[in-house]
This record gives sequence, C-alpha cells and structure tokens, in this order.
Amino acid sequence: MAKIGVFICHCGENIAAKVDCTKLAAAMGEHPGVEVSVEYKYFCSDPGQESVKKAIRENNLTGIVIAACSPRMHEATFRKACAEAGLNPYLCEIANIREQCSWVHTDGDMATAKAADIVRSMVEKVKRNNILQPIEVPVTRRALVIGGGIAGLQAALDIANAGQEVVLVEREPSLGGHMAQLSETFPTLDCSQCIMTPRMVETAQHPNIRLLTYAEIESVDGYIGNFKVRVRMKARYVDMNACTGCGDCITKCPVKKISSEFDCGLGKRTAIYTPFAQSVPNMPVIDKASCIYFKNGKCKTCQKSCELNAINFEMQDEFIDLEIGAIVVATGFQVQNTALYGEYGYGKFPDVITGLQFERLASASGPTAGRILRPSDGKEPENVVFIQCAGSRDPSKGVRYCSKICCMYTAKHAMLYAHKVHDGKTHIFYMDIRAAGKGYDEFTRRAIEEDEASYVRGRVSKLWQENGKLMVRGVDTLLGKPVTVAADMVVLATAMVPQPNAKEFAKTIGIAYDEYGFYNEAHLKLRPVESSTAGVFLAGACQSPKDIPDSVAQASATASKVLALFSKEKLEREPVIAVNNEATCAGCWGCVLACPYNAIEKKDIRDRSGKLVKQVAYVNPGLCQGCGTCVSFCRSNSLDLAGFTEKQIFAEVMGL
Amino acid sequence: MITQEKYRTTVKELLANGSIKMAIGYRPGSTSDRRRPLFIRTSEEADQLVLDSTCITNLSGYLVTEGLLSDEKRVGIFLRPEGIRSINILAAEYQLNVDQIIIFGFDFTGREVRALQGQTTGDFSALLSEIRENPPLATKEPLLERIEKMNAKERFDFWQQEFSRCIKCYACRQACPMCYCRRCIVDSNQPQWVNTSSHTLGNFEWNVVRAFHLSGRCVQCGNCDRACPVNIPLRLINQRMAKEVVDGFDHFAGLSPTQEPVLASFKKDDTETFIL
Repeated sequence: MAKIGVFICHCGENIAAKVDCTKLAAAMGEHPGVEVSVEYKYFCSDPGQESVKKAIRENNLTGIVIAACSPRMHEATFRKACAEAGLNPYLCEIANIREQCSWVHTDGDMATAKAADIVRSMVEKVKRNNILQPIEVPVTRRALVIGGGIAGLQAALDIANAGQEVVLVEREPSLGGHMAQLSETFPTLDCSQCIMTPRMVETAQHPNIRLLTYAEIESVDGYIGNFKVRVRMKARYVDMNACTGCGDCITKCPVKKISSEFDCGLGKRTAIYTPFAQSVPNMPVIDKASCIYFKNGKCKTCQKSCELNAINFEMQDEFIDLEIGAIVVATGFQVQNTALYGEYGYGKFPDVITGLQFERLASASGPTAGRILRPSDGKEPENVVFIQCAGSRDPSKGVRYCSKICCMYTAKHAMLYAHKVHDGKTHIFYMDIRAAGKGYDEFTRRAIEEDEASYVRGRVSKLWQENGKLMVRGVDTLLGKPVTVAADMVVLATAMVPQPNAKEFAKTIGIAYDEYGFYNEAHLKLRPVESSTAGVFLAGACQSPKDIPDSVAQASATASKVLALFSKEKLEREPVIAVNNEATCAGCWGCVLACPYNAIEKKDIRDRSGKLVKQVAYVNPGLCQGCGTCVSFCRSNSLDLAGFTEKQIFAEVMGL
Repeated sequence: MITQEKYRTTVKELLANGSIKMAIGYRPGSTSDRRRPLFIRTSEEADQLVLDSTCITNLSGYLVTEGLLSDEKRVGIFLRPEGIRSINILAAEYQLNVDQIIIFGFDFTGREVRALQGQTTGDFSALLSEIRENPPLATKEPLLERIEKMNAKERFDFWQQEFSRCIKCYACRQACPMCYCRRCIVDSNQPQWVNTSSHTLGNFEWNVVRAFHLSGRCVQCGNCDRACPVNIPLRLINQRMAKEVVDGFDHFAGLSPTQEPVLASFKKDDTETFIL
C-alpha cells in the first residue's frame, strides 16, 4: 500500500503569492495513497529538510513528492535528504509548481488548480517508482589533453604535477599553438616566447606526460572514466628516436620558398622543416605536398645530409589506441579570413595585414627579427592605421559576437609600434574600447596617453591606394565628420573564429557546439568548463574567444575537474538507463543501430546444456546515457527507461 | 505447368541430395482459386506442389517460425519478387540468415507462370532494382487515387468508416511476414497503450501503430489485405507509407540483406542536429 508524502513549498513568495498552498495541501491530503500533505515556507532550508526526513521516518513513507521549484535546482538536495531518512532516493519526485506554474500565471485560482494537477500526476508516478541503485563504473586514471597551445599545456602540466598520467596530442609538428606566434603580451608586455617555451620544455620532459605531436584524434568511443581513443600519428618521415634536431637537413633542403604557416605567410620555410626555431620537439617533419622526392621521385638531399640516417621516406601513418578516463579539449581557434571584407583590401594590398601577422612582424623570432617593416617593400611604415572589429560584432558579414581580445591587442600593437618606430603615427578606428580585466583599462589609457595612439571612434568604409599610400576613409562619429588618413600600413583586428573543422571534430568526440562551432559548456554560469558529455572538459578558445589569462585559468579549472574525477576508484552514475525485457525482445537489433552511444550489445541466451536459444539486446549500463532513443524505436516495447518507465509516464499522464 | 513440373523435380533433387531439409510452397486449397501452404519434406509431398497464378500469398513469414532455422540447415521457399524483398528485410533485421534460404523464384503475367533465375537473394538484386525503378504495382489503384483527392476531413471520415468494421482479430498481424515479435505492443498491458476493445478509437490506434511499425519495411505483398475478414483496404495505408519513406528517406525496403532499417539508422553527417 502506497504511503506518499506531499511537501508543498512556498518558496517564500515565489509560489505562495499565486498558488494557495493551504488549499493545495488540503486537496492533496484527500488524494488516494497520500499519507502526509504539508506546506512550509522553504523546504530546501535545513529545518525544511529535517521536517521531510522526520515525516518519512515517522510515517514509514514509501515515496515523496516535493512540490517546489525545478528539479534542476533541488532534486539532488531532496534525494540526499531521502537517503538520509532511509528511503531510496529514486522514490523522491519533484513537482515543479514554480517555473511551470506560479511564475507563469496571473490568475491565482487557476494557478492553484494547475498546481494540484501537477502534484497529483507526480503522486501517481511516484506510486509506481522502483528502487534504483546508482551505477558504479571504474575510472581509468589517465587524461587526454587535445591541443598543445597554452590552454592544453597548462591543463596537462597541472594534471601531471598532481601525479596523474597525461597524454597530450598536438596536430602540428610542435607544441606552442597561437601563443608561440605572439610577440609581447598584454597587459604586462612580457615576451610571449619567454614565458611559453619553458612551459613547452617542461611538458616534453615531464615524466607523467606522454607527448604525441603531429598526431590527430581518429575516434573516441566509450564514456566517462572509460574512453577508448584512437590517435593517428601522421608520418613525419623523420625517425624521432634517431634525430637530434641538428638542422642539417633543413639547411640543405632545396625547396626554400614555401610560405610559412607559423609566420602567417610573411616568411618562408623549407619542405623539411620545424615550424619555428624553438619548436618542441625540435625535430623536423617533411611536408609531403612540397617535397621534391614525393613529387617526382628524385632528390633525397635531406637523407644524404643526415649523418644519423633519421630520414625515412617509407614511413606510414600509425595508429595508437589509448585507454583514457577524462578528456580536456583545448583545440583553440583560427583567425577569420578577412578577405571577405573587400573594402579593406586584404589580400589585394600587401600592406594590409591581420593582427596575427603584425605579431609576427613585432616578434623577435619573426621574419623581420622584430623590426616593423611593411611586407611590400620592407620599408619602415611612418603611419599605421589599425581597424578594430574587422569581422567581429558584424551580423551582416562577419560574426555577431565580440572577439574579446582585439581591443587589447590593438592597443598593444600601437604601443609596440611606438616603442620601435619613435616618430611613427598611429590611428585606431574603433567602435568601443572594451578593456575589462585586471590592468586592462590602465593599459589602453597608457597607449593613448604615453604612446600617443590616436583613437578615432568610427568605422572605415573604404581603402584604396594612391601615390604609394594606403588611403583609409572612415568617419569620426564624435566629430561627426568623415576622415581620410594616408597610411603606410593597415592592420586589421580580425575576429577569432572556431577551427575550420570544429564541428566535425565535436562529432568525433561527441560534444555539443553552438551556431559558430564554439563548444558548448554544460551550464554557462555554474558548469563553465564541463562539456555536455560527462568526462569531457573544455579549456581555452575552443569554447569562446579568450585571452591568455582566461585560457590558463580555465585550463587549470579543467585540471581540477579531472583530478576530482580521478580521486575516486569508481564513479557513481545515475541509474536512469534503458533496460531490456529479454523475454519479449525479438532480436531485430534496430536498437543497436539507433543507439547514438553504442551502448547496446547482443547477448546470447542459452539453455542449461549451453545450447544457444536466442540472442537479445543487452544495454551496457556504463555506456547508456538514458536518452531513450532505443525505447521509442523498439516495436515490441521490450526496452524501457529505468526511472521513467512507460508505466510511470502513463500513470503521470493519467493523473492529470 | 512446365514451370510447376520443373520445380517439383528440382525440389525432389535438392531434398534427395540433402541440400535442403524442407521446401515451403503451395498446395490446393478449399476452392480452385485458393492455395494452402505446403511444407515439403519428402519426395511424395513434392508431388502435391502447385504453382500457378493463384499462388499469391507471401510465404516468407513461415521462415521465422521459432526453431525452424536454428539447426542451420537450409530451407527452400517459393517466392515472388516481393517475397524476396521480405527475405532481405528479415535478414537485415537478423531474423534469418540468407545463406540458409534457397529461393525458388517465380512470377506470373496473367495466368502465365514463369520461373525467376537465381537461388540466393543476391541473384535477384538486379531484378529488385528494376522493380524499384518501375514498380509493377505503381499501379492504378482507383481507390487510392480517390483517397488522395480527399481533403483531411473526408479522408479521416473514410478511414473511420473503414476501421469501424475492424473486429481486432489481428489476422493482418498474423499474416504479415514482418510481424515476428514474440509479444506485440498491443498485447502489452502495463501500460495498455492500445485499447483492446474494438471501438473506433482502439481500432484507429491499432491500425496507426501497425502502419508506423511497417513503414520502411512493408513490401506490399498484400497478405494483410487478403487476410482481413471485414475487407479493410489495409494495403493502401502501407502503400502510402512506403511512398513516404521512398520520398523522404530514399529508402526502398528489401533491396539487399544488408540494407539498414530506415527508422533505426542515422548518419553522423545528418544535417539535422537532433543527434549528436
């Protein structure tokens, strides 16, 4: 015989102002099977929870309904209270009479009637609830960090320094990511490479970190604590065990005019190359598409020059299978292709460059060894125009979001230019100056006041070449006048966009992404570093545009999440999973195909002599995410979802 | 007649040399235009085999009789093209292994019976593709054309009228080769999704559930239609459903034994975002 307790929460005024809780409690007390029906101002408070526990113990309740806010708020709270009172936590249900009732209705009587319907339907459900036990799954204590930029390095080092194993996968030949390309960093102007390269070396030498560069994730299967990851090691054509990184092959390579990706096309590299001088690992790869030997079968100059016989043209891609407990995705960003703005002339005029290209010009390790020289003729520009929001905050042609870092790096560029070209002039066209952050506003003020950056509030409409100058026509909205500036070089603050393959990659790992391809967090405010998939965490600019301090902070946050996960031997998971009725299963395997998590296997049913009687579906409790796709597919109705059985849902509907 | 004699001989030979343990065919029924299934295990039984233009029942459903194929021996069966498609679907849904099935294919034009070349489902794939392109049934169903022209209300009234005759005997389910579940959803009573009594609502529920369970699986063999004791034109619903599946998913059921069931499969590059 059911003995259900109904606890109606006022939520202060939130519910009680619209719903007549006294009337509701009285009505529910009359409902068959309800043993206790009471109201209270805040059931989530300590005395509130105590009163629930007391009622459970004193009345030997077989189930409870908390009529209050959304289960997202306090389901866990009340389940825990239930468990403390000796009642299985899955015999507790939440009737949401706040978000779905009092908050959205104006008429008190009707809201009260609706609240009664909602509570009654949950009472009918909880009468049919079953005792469920959390599922325990083992945890593989090894983390996978995808991406070797600053976010990936930080996450890997934090996890490794806490004594756990890490596999770091980077698709480029070297660690470093975008941060390695930068010159000095805001707001302190310390040299990016000087703070970055020690981290790279530390990562490579760390006993707990296994470094896989020039490698890509091929597939990810499994679930939190038990991922199976396949990594493709792209053929380097250089034996990493033999190579010492002497660089003889690079000097000898006859193909010298390949546009360097690392220098954003401003420098050249060879066909056998390391992306930059401080690469980690400092071992070259052969760019198959540019190599003469791969094109016409002759050359092998590098092989002849190598005294250690490290070069092997026969090398093939290899696969490594890894068992992984948690994944940190730190795949970073790209800069938008600014060529889509015809009016700025990017791609047409060589002296219109992107912010990232300016970083390479200003960097001591860059193609000009840190001198600001314009790409067309190598002269020092006397007048530089910076155009902010060249792609960001532009719903019509670019992206709608604010790219976040551009205000700061443009101010920095103006400063670096002023420090290097003492009588140079800068004009910065801007929409707003967004300098929120520690020391950020002071930094932009310094650019304006000490380094004489001239900020012009307005947009640029047109850019053309005249007498060897780049004419920039814009508007100064503060003066209400058009302005034309004759510049020697123009720098576009291009937007940060997701990696071009971000969406496909998200599908490989099984995480959600937004309309742009940035990865979605589980909750923007309360779970900002967890992805929608348990055990997969997000760090850095793959989630949204971020600067270095934010990326590093988020990376450390993911490390703490991973370490918390690794602190237990076994994981507890919600037992809301599909369950198969083996007696009625017809073995059509439609569910096997339909399951997006590969959680359903074929199980042999044998008689006592071991003879195979039939095969039926078996839901692996560790893999099942409880999405219910199989349940809705199953024609014979053999599959059901624990905690949300058809019987329970049906009762819920009939209770209305 | 020649085809019938030829097949009698073939069946006898295959039984004699142990290639098959049984052949499923047709024998005379209670009237001259009716046929019964015949399960041939011996040479004598083979002499009862009849093959003419009244052999229209799709026999493939008998193959999934529990235990028939579990000894892994082979079984021969007389099938028209839609029956061969049924075999493919049953194989795709793991109800049988095509290697165990020897097909005696036949078809007829008017009263003329002819044998189809081939023994395994693969031998008929060209024929099935041809049927996909030029469906012989595509067919002038005057009633279907009439229903297509109705508006929603008229159509609803039409079916309400038809289903009001349904007596929930489930003969349609019994006759259908695709209804192989050990327990049908209508027999599930915790909860009772489909009302058991034969009033219009319950009848509607049953027939709509059946139509959806057969979408992407029905080959329009017409077994249900012929089995219905109150003559509800069930084939029309399934025909329409099959057309929807071809139009919407480019899926013609039963082309090969490895064809993935349309409602159970999904592609990772699907443009819809409802699946991760």
